[in-house]
Amino acid sequence: MSRFAHSRIGWKAVVAIPLLLAAATFVQGRIDAETHAQAAEQEELIFRSGPLLKKLSLGYDPLLADIYWTRAVQYYGARIGVQNATFGSLPALLDITTTLDPRLVVAYRFGAIFLSEPEPIGAGRTDLAVDLVKRGIAANPDQWLLYHDLGFLYYWRLKDYPQAAATYLAGSKVKGAPTIMKLMAARIAENGGSIETSRLIFWELYESTKDPNVRKAALKQLRSLKAQEDEEHLDELIDQYRRRLARNPASTRDLVTAGLLPGVPVDPLGFPYVIGSDGKSHLDPNSSIQEPKP
Amino acid sequence: MSAMPGVVAVNTFREAVRDRVLYNLVVFALVMIGASILVGQVSIGIDRLVIINLGLSAISLIGLVMAVFIGVGLVYKEIEKRTLYSLLAKPVRRWEFLIGKYFGLLLTLAVNTSFMTLGLAGALYYVGRPFVRSDVTVLVAAYFILLELALVTAIALLFSCFSSPILSTLFTLTIYVTGIFANDIREFGNLTHNRMMEAITRFLYYVVPNFHNFDAIGAAGHGDFVPFTLIWQNTLYAVLYATLVLTGAAAVFARRNLK
Repeated sequence: MSRFAHSRIGWKAVVAIPLLLAAATFVQGRIDAETHAQAAEQEELIFRSGPLLKKLSLGYDPLLADIYWTRAVQYYGARIGVQNATFGSLPALLDITTTLDPRLVVAYRFGAIFLSEPEPIGAGRTDLAVDLVKRGIAANPDQWLLYHDLGFLYYWRLKDYPQAAATYLAGSKVKGAPTIMKLMAARIAENGGSIETSRLIFWELYESTKDPNVRKAALKQLRSLKAQEDEEHLDELIDQYRRRLARNPASTRDLVTAGLLPGVPVDPLGFPYVIGSDGKSHLDPNSSIQEPKP
Repeated sequence: MSAMPGVVAVNTFREAVRDRVLYNLVVFALVMIGASILVGQVSIGIDRLVIINLGLSAISLIGLVMAVFIGVGLVYKEIEKRTLYSLLAKPVRRWEFLIGKYFGLLLTLAVNTSFMTLGLAGALYYVGRPFVRSDVTVLVAAYFILLELALVTAIALLFSCFSSPILSTLFTLTIYVTGIFANDIREFGNLTHNRMMEAITRFLYYVVPNFHNFDAIGAAGHGDFVPFTLIWQNTLYAVLYATLVLTGAAAVFARRNLK
């Protein structure tokens, strides 16, 4: 074949390949549109048995565990905050992940958060979260952080203070556990459900993790608890003001004028507290702090 | 022993390099770079773990593909191309030729595994932390992969002595997969509570090469300590089993009619 003919074929290829690729992309787009509805209805998982997948992985189970954990994160991320979203496949994804690699501590820790958060932030299944972390402890008895997470679930989600105290105490005996675990066990046993105890637990959660999302969530709760504590204190002062002047204060400035406060109190984000028509203190409507719901 | 196995080994290695076999390192490098950049974006808390698991799995898988597909053609190709006849006309004994071929491919695999392990170390460094003592387990896991590949190469070479590449690939992979399930085979026998079945599965357990022994990827990911005893025991097992298979291969090849 002549050099000219070669060159002509080359030019044709340069033109034809992008065109054919564009056409294939277009057709793929149409196929995606056609199958989108079906795909959305399909279950996320073909295999639901962790042990079966472990056998089929031919020794590459650690890598497969990472892939399933990433799938679980993506699955959760795609549904977080979406109204009417369901988390039906999340327990199975976490179960498979932790069966493939029972030592993947991060899957138990974050999996418990994904499962226990109330809808639409999470699956709202604290029972499954507790089971998951218990399995994590069974497979990794040397990880005190898992005891911490289980204690947190009992304390914050289930309000089961005796169990929470027992879990923190068990965790405090694990090698390397900080002394605060024992302190928390004692605090919960003595005064479970109090703001002080809750604050201690969230502070420990904030300190014990490097993950920015968990730290952000813990900080948010700490601010809420501080606001709750402030409001309780303000309500006492409002009562004193009412007893003294036989009327409700219009604002916190009235409490300052009456000599009950040295200055106008502000929430952790710097917004002044307001006094509602019910005679109780509240957060400023512009403040992004949420009223805690213990 | 003469120097002939060494000469054959070096030539086998050169041939592999000439055939651009080591180009797979580029694929490995791209996978590691991609994983290092992407993993933090799509998952939580497993950056280092993914790099180790993905890196070691890739080293194992690429090595396995090389060991099987090159191994099954080691002898067959020489017979097909008729280059074996001119070689055997020289003072090279058949078993020396086999040993040379075996160590030539093993050298290729060792060089390949070493470069990939270096790449893995680079990716680990990239994801952001200095090396710690437990990272030694990654090197142990890479060494175990090499032992595994040494066994697979011996098996592939055995089949290459008397079978076609397609059948040899099938046989080698079947033995490899069976070897991974060696522990399950024995467990299965125990579950039956049948003495005969238990004896058969126990026999199979010891006859089939136990590839499960060389699985240290999970331990490397979690930075677990691998006892030195296990390292030398695995080394001894691989050496013994590979010698056994190569002896079989030499026996088969010695009897093979090349006319």
